[in-house]
Amino acid sequence: MAPRARPGRPGYAELHCHSAYSFLDGASLPEELALRAAELGYPALALTDHDGVWGAMEHAQACSALGVRPIVGAELAVRPPPSPGRAEREPGAGAGVPGRGRGEPAGTGSGAAGAAPLHVTLLVESRAGWRNLCRLITEAHAGTRWPGEGGPRASPTAPSLPLAALAERAEGLVCLSGCAGAGALVRGGEQVGRSLLAAFGRERFRVELQRPLWRHDRARNRALAHLAERLGVPCVATGDAHFHHPRRAQLQDALVAVRHGITLDESEPLRRGNSASCLASPEEMARRFADHPEALAESAALAERLRFDLTRDLGYRYPGAEDAEADRALAEICRSRLEHRYRARRERREAARRLEEELRVIRSLGLSGFFLLHFDILELAREVAAEVRGPGSARGLLPPGRGRGSSVSSIVCYLTGLSHVDPVRNALFLGRFLNEEATEMPDIDLDFPRDIRERLIVRVHERYGRERSALVAAFACYQSRGATRDLGKALGLPPGEIERVARAVDLHDRPGSVAEDIAAAIGPGRARSPRWRALAQLAREAWGLPRHVSQHPGGMVLSTRPLVELCPVQPAAMEGRQLVQWDKDSCADAGFLKIDLLGLGMLSAVERCVEEIARARGERIDLSRIPLDDPATYAAIQAAETTGAFQIESRAQMQMLPRTRPESLDDLTVQVALVRPGPIQGGAVHPYLERKARLREDPSYQVPYEHPSLEPILRDTLGAIVFQEQVIQVAMALAGFSAGEAEGLRRAMSRKRSEEAILGYRERFIAGALRRGVERAVAERVFEQVRGFSGFGFPKAHAAAFGLLAYQSTWLRVHYGPEFLCSLLNEQPMGFYPPDSLVHEAQRRGIEVLPPDVNRSAAECSVTERLAVRIGLGYVTGLGEDAARRICAERERAGPYASLEDLASRACLGRDALERLAWAGACEPFGSDRRAHLWRAGVAAPPAAQPRRAASSSRQLSLPLPLPPAPGLPELGGWERVATDYASTGITLGPHPMELIRPELGPGLVRTDALPRLAHGARVELAGMVVARQRPATARGVVFMLLEDEAGVVNVIVAPSVYRRHRLAVRTAAFLRIAGKLERRGAVINLVARTLEALATPDALRAQVHHIEPPAARETGRAGAEGQGGRGAAAAAGRGSPASPGASAGDPRGRRAAAAGAGLADLAAVAPRPHSFGRRR
Amino acid sequence: MTGVYWPRPVRVRASGAGAPLAVGGIAVEAVREEWLVEDRWWTPSPLRRRYFEVVLADGRCLVVFREPAEGPRPRWFEQRG
Repeated sequence: MAPRARPGRPGYAELHCHSAYSFLDGASLPEELALRAAELGYPALALTDHDGVWGAMEHAQACSALGVRPIVGAELAVRPPPSPGRAEREPGAGAGVPGRGRGEPAGTGSGAAGAAPLHVTLLVESRAGWRNLCRLITEAHAGTRWPGEGGPRASPTAPSLPLAALAERAEGLVCLSGCAGAGALVRGGEQVGRSLLAAFGRERFRVELQRPLWRHDRARNRALAHLAERLGVPCVATGDAHFHHPRRAQLQDALVAVRHGITLDESEPLRRGNSASCLASPEEMARRFADHPEALAESAALAERLRFDLTRDLGYRYPGAEDAEADRALAEICRSRLEHRYRARRERREAARRLEEELRVIRSLGLSGFFLLHFDILELAREVAAEVRGPGSARGLLPPGRGRGSSVSSIVCYLTGLSHVDPVRNALFLGRFLNEEATEMPDIDLDFPRDIRERLIVRVHERYGRERSALVAAFACYQSRGATRDLGKALGLPPGEIERVARAVDLHDRPGSVAEDIAAAIGPGRARSPRWRALAQLAREAWGLPRHVSQHPGGMVLSTRPLVELCPVQPAAMEGRQLVQWDKDSCADAGFLKIDLLGLGMLSAVERCVEEIARARGERIDLSRIPLDDPATYAAIQAAETTGAFQIESRAQMQMLPRTRPESLDDLTVQVALVRPGPIQGGAVHPYLERKARLREDPSYQVPYEHPSLEPILRDTLGAIVFQEQVIQVAMALAGFSAGEAEGLRRAMSRKRSEEAILGYRERFIAGALRRGVERAVAERVFEQVRGFSGFGFPKAHAAAFGLLAYQSTWLRVHYGPEFLCSLLNEQPMGFYPPDSLVHEAQRRGIEVLPPDVNRSAAECSVTERLAVRIGLGYVTGLGEDAARRICAERERAGPYASLEDLASRACLGRDALERLAWAGACEPFGSDRRAHLWRAGVAAPPAAQPRRAASSSRQLSLPLPLPPAPGLPELGGWERVATDYASTGITLGPHPMELIRPELGPGLVRTDALPRLAHGARVELAGMVVARQRPATARGVVFMLLEDEAGVVNVIVAPSVYRRHRLAVRTAAFLRIAGKLERRGAVINLVARTLEALATPDALRAQVHHIEPPAARETGRAGAEGQGGRGAAAAAGRGSPASPGASAGDPRGRRAAAAGAGLADLAAVAPRPHSFGRRR
Repeated sequence: MTGVYWPRPVRVRASGAGAPLAVGGIAVEAVREEWLVEDRWWTPSPLRRRYFEVVLADGRCLVVFREPAEGPRPRWFEQRG
């Protein structure tokens, strides 16, 4: 849509506008602002976010698409030079300019020496200006995270830079004097004005007038206009827009309160105070600036002058692009490796042909340098892997990482070591990765074990220089749950109720459902109050807005020119790392070369497992040489005994495995690709399952194909479209698309809001198919399959790499169960199941799991001599890695601990650490009574320091004096023990909670092990602990849950109507009682729920909790153990009896003691949180 | 409840655009400032006021506001400060 330019309208373009990338200040996305600007008929729109250009590329793209000319810039905080007698100024004190100082971020800037920072608006006029803006922003952010010594700051300081820095980098930039609240002239007066004039000159400095409809607007603007006259520069009118539409004003108010960590009631002076900061029409701006028409005209004139276009003028080149020798160097590497790898193999001729063809395409696209760069990084990874793994490690046999994604299909990638799947032998199709019509850089994603990746990122920074490499940014965006928490707090709603609502909110649900969640959680009556209604409204408006910047999981950008001249770079939270200010989409739009160095938990787990096997059994496993046709492994896969295995452990995969019964790596390749949104929505799953079953019964069964031309493409997947490149191949074979056209179709399908583009392709697809003699009905049907698939599927090459890892992990699970469990526990969080479920499943397979023990556990979980898994001390919540390692090191040095006091004094443990160990049962070598240990811990070690006391008081060491015996305390009961286990380690090893609860539940319930004996359609009722909840977008509102009891696990299906009736129970209950119908398909059993009920607390088990400490001490978090005094509340243990002398002396013990006496409702609070509505990776 | 700064109802004749022309029967000579306050929207009593600082024909300088800020039948108040 082009802006509606009407003759006779006042000319105006907005030159000062904040998007939501002015985090917690702007309240609209760049797209929303661009769309509104087009509606209002703006010829141009500038984006000037605070201290950054995070949204600049998004803005440029959105504006260009709508016919609005994008102008980029930023509003920077600058520190005025300290001058004698210039104490901290009040806003407006500068030049007799009335100002209010409201509504602006209150950054003080590092080293601001008390003077409030001044805001200036910088707009880019030329490429040199962009370069300077990037350098200025980079400088403003330097030091906001890492002060140099003492490690990174927990939260960054506000970015700012000295005023003098502007003069050095003024070329190509236009400077406006800043906003009404904190502008350079409003706060700094004529002196600062003269400095800016000297820096930018008369041509590129303007005095900014704003009309936010605050009191004193006119007086301020009159004073500023006089000042402009004295300086001899024109005034320019700006709107300081913070949102695109007045309805976002309330959200903007709330975001200001969130930013300051206070409530709306408390934040009046900091808020903007009205809705005037929306993008206003040119007519409205003309009305507001009736006193200053020349300023309004100047806005339009200046906008006309600013012609720098980020989508065109960036000038990026990737490293290696200028290397004239790159073609020859790449060809030499590949050819010599081809000789080596394919020597005396029948695929040699085909491999050589394919290599030459690929090299030709790479040369024609000028990408040889790009491949050499990846090769170089992989060589670097090899060095890093050797360092991380250490000499002689069993892991040394493994490659440092492996490619994923479509790059695996390239023989060049195979030969340079980027992939480990032979594309010739596996008949992988190259087109998706590389074709001659490619307009974007191909994707190469590399998976590494986490520890290697951590080190590699720093090494890449070192190799290419900090100026030329950085991580890609990511933005944490508001979803319903986070918005409920943040905005509920800003509204001053009760924290307990906010949390109840937040837990009831589906993390990824549509934003409009918060109102229903509020009503469900606190009742419809309360939900009608203005504050709760406001919360529902605000959460809906906030959905999708970026909240803060974070780090992409592994994307790195490399450049030949200094990156800091292309995009600002800022320090990341982790020391030694830095980010460009753009996310992956903006980087792709800029054409940046992005290399994904991803950490894959399962690769780390597999490496750990190999190492643990070597340690526990002295066996050296080379995973590249294990048999790929192991019957025991396939038997486990076919029986869906795959908990913990890569990819095929998920609920959906386990449902499918007994039906597909994979028998080879090829089958597994299809299997991992099948459970993806693409094949599911494209309708591929059921035809594949059915045809696979029929083929098994009747090997002569003829698989039906929509058209004979599709048979060679879809043969491996039995006529269904399962892999991403099959979309391309189908379009080429059926409709005669070129490789580039087909790739264009695939891209169009994978983007949002591309309906028009897809329709265009549809017509071409059907016309092309008709030309080839395909019937219209067939062409339309195939197109619908292609369209259903969209972009959300794996390329075959990627699936092959994942399928291999799925096999390897299952092989380890089958043959080295204890070591595999141990490695999974040490790599958490990862995979589909929480540690507690992994442990229970292993116990059911006969693997012995032992509790943490100060005399036997290592810091991490380990496998014992008799092949049991011992939980590591690191699993004790809040103990901290340092304390765990200290306990182990001291034990190695001087032998086992004899008593609690011995432990306290030799391992230098504070009371808090001792209590956590006692409560987790890790002190049971000194006796079995946890409560007695807790009592004695209170005497053995000094209390942790109060937060405000000198740090030295927490360093008083314990003396190994004999402790008085504990008074007679009741031993922990079964329930109390379970609750204590969950509160302290998240794993319970004794009786399953359901075993303890079962006597309370009455007759008539079945256990999961009885289900295989029941008939299809049988009415059953059972109870269990919720292990996982999922509400996949592809399932049209159906919720799936995994319910675990003492005998096993069952999959529960909750239909949308049942979900609506039992929403809160489904979303939040830790233990459920479910009645429903048994559904059986072959060996696959499901329970289709009819009613659900959260299990309630038996009255006899209610805890009596007494808070003795002041509330402030009770509410401090649950972070690291030592020196973190005053955490818990003092409380008496179950049934009102005091737990230890510490308790009566006002000591932290409340949470655990309360848990010990808790019943089911309390258990729900400490039971391991199931993986809800999605999976962690 | 009354107080020194508590708004007092006042009779105002306003233009079609909503600007005051006369306050308490005395003509407005000039509008010195005009501003908008929108607050407390999350409470049962939200605030939406358009303020004017005016100079009257008799030389007095006053602050008046209309509530609500827009709409056909506003109520007018005078407020000191």
